[in-house]
Amino acid sequence: MSRNLLYIFLSLLLVLLLVGVGLRIGSFTAGFSTVAEALFSYNPANQTHFAIVELRLPRLLLALIVGASLAFSGYLMQAMVNNALADPYILGTASGASLGASLSIAGFVATTWSGVYLPPFFALAGAFGVTTLVILLGYRQGQIIPAQLLLAGIAIGSLLTAMVSLFTFLSGSESAIRSIMFWSMGDFGRANWQVLPYPAVALFLALVLFLFLQKELNILLLGAERAGTLGVKVARTRWLILITVAVVTGFAVALAGSVGFVGLIIPHVTRSLLGLTHKLNLFLCALLGGGFLVACDILSRLLYPPAGLPIGIITSFFGVPFFVYLLLKKSYRFN
Amino acid sequence: MFKIHFRYALVYWVACILLFSCESQPARQPETATLTVTDDLGRKVTIPRFPRRIMALAPSETEMIYAVADEKTIVGRTQNCNYPIQVKNKPVVNNYPMDYEKLVLLKPDLVFTVEGLTSAEEAARIQELHIPVYYQKFAKVEDIFRGLTDIGRLLHREDKAKTVVDSLRQALSQLQVRSEVGAEPQVLAVTWPDPIYVYGQNTIFTDKLQYIGAENAVKEILAQPYPALTREYILKLNPDVIIGGTFEKMDATFFKLYPELKQVKAYRNKKIFAATDDLMARPSPRVVSSIRELKKFIR
Repeated sequence: MSRNLLYIFLSLLLVLLLVGVGLRIGSFTAGFSTVAEALFSYNPANQTHFAIVELRLPRLLLALIVGASLAFSGYLMQAMVNNALADPYILGTASGASLGASLSIAGFVATTWSGVYLPPFFALAGAFGVTTLVILLGYRQGQIIPAQLLLAGIAIGSLLTAMVSLFTFLSGSESAIRSIMFWSMGDFGRANWQVLPYPAVALFLALVLFLFLQKELNILLLGAERAGTLGVKVARTRWLILITVAVVTGFAVALAGSVGFVGLIIPHVTRSLLGLTHKLNLFLCALLGGGFLVACDILSRLLYPPAGLPIGIITSFFGVPFFVYLLLKKSYRFN
Repeated sequence: MFKIHFRYALVYWVACILLFSCESQPARQPETATLTVTDDLGRKVTIPRFPRRIMALAPSETEMIYAVADEKTIVGRTQNCNYPIQVKNKPVVNNYPMDYEKLVLLKPDLVFTVEGLTSAEEAARIQELHIPVYYQKFAKVEDIFRGLTDIGRLLHREDKAKTVVDSLRQALSQLQVRSEVGAEPQVLAVTWPDPIYVYGQNTIFTDKLQYIGAENAVKEILAQPYPALTREYILKLNPDVIIGGTFEKMDATFFKLYPELKQVKAYRNKKIFAATDDLMARPSPRVVSSIRELKKFIR
């Protein structure tokens, strides 16, 4: 018990440390004292303060929230379909967001409307639209059939990937192609204080809701039938998971593009640390997911300054080897 | 009877021997139909000694060959070629994706292109179709003049090329302005809003600016010629002038998306301008017009 709390405490410390380090990195030189000064006695006329508070902090917080949202959604999806390979994107949410954004970036629908930059809105619409479609396809006689849902998600996802490739191909401008690529692989460059509350509130509400449903989630891992006999309302829990994942992931990908692997890897890391059914699993999962993306963002900007590499490249490069290590570790089992 | 026949046969054979011996005399070698030249990428290209059917696979190169070549020898254009206006009468060969069949149909005996618009793979495929591909590369304004001279030499129109280059040089020298050291206006040219892509240090844009006593605000040589920048990086650069759209348009789009950037000098002094895209993007004989346009904004 105390060891598990220690893990959580260390993760929290690590995330704070990463955010602290992240706040130092950028074009304006800033030591820790300048960072502290910018945070606690902010002077908007000071350009370094301005960069730290208005640009670096929202960017790091977006990375934190997106990482937490995706890892949390991944954990829920793996529990729902009872499959170690599931991630938040199996509902087609990310492909839908990419489709919406690329349609707008390539100019097939409006890119701006009375000065408002539209790709994030189309991304949100695409995310929700496609997720609804996949859920409808996975639904039969009042029940969500996990296998059918998985297959529908894979099929629709492939179709949408092909469509995004088509729009990328058809868009003549090299910059538009690179822009679509950044969307497809994730980017925190657009972060600002105005957009942060949406994914943050969605994640917070979802975390609170599932703190009360943690027991049902754990029982779902035993399979739908046994969960039913143990008194879990399987259909209701599945619906709650689906709606939560759709909303939380939808906001995350609409703002940052589809960052890969976080939603797949971090839930497994969490279980390997705290065990399969610990009551703080969801909390730690969100924390680790956030920390992981903050670290990846810092790394991407250090490796390829100033704007950084698309974030999905970094998550794969550093996440996948670790994941393979986890798979080979004999002591870890999914169920 | 036999004797006559023998005599004829003898004459026949002597005639034959004389004929063959004449033929085997070392005759004057006619000029070969081809020659091998080295293009700007250092590739050895075998081209016709007298190219008669030429075209370019990039809009900027079409402008280059139009300035020097005999228009009758230009057999086609790409879908994006729109200058000079008479180019619109030429048949179109798509360059993205490359329409090899149409290219073969037009039978050019030499095609010009620039690095970046035609991939090495496409060039190899075109050469397999027995159409030589000549690459030009432009890092500085001076390279455009050299490129025009090269085209003149390859097409045996040296005089025409010299006239064009001389008049461009003269127009350029009339435009030239010097600034005091350290007082050069810092110019940032934005090509795309999300992520923010700009003209980097190692582009011809940087060289254009030095003729009018200005500098590219991006000093660092980044990995890409058109790098993506963060908002923070642009705040640090604090450019005096931004090229990328009219003030009204940029205010309603770019600065609405990134209100933090309203702090830069260019925004505060409303020094934000829309340059003609084709002039900015194409290294062509219109480079002087491009520099003139930039001078109008900056000076």
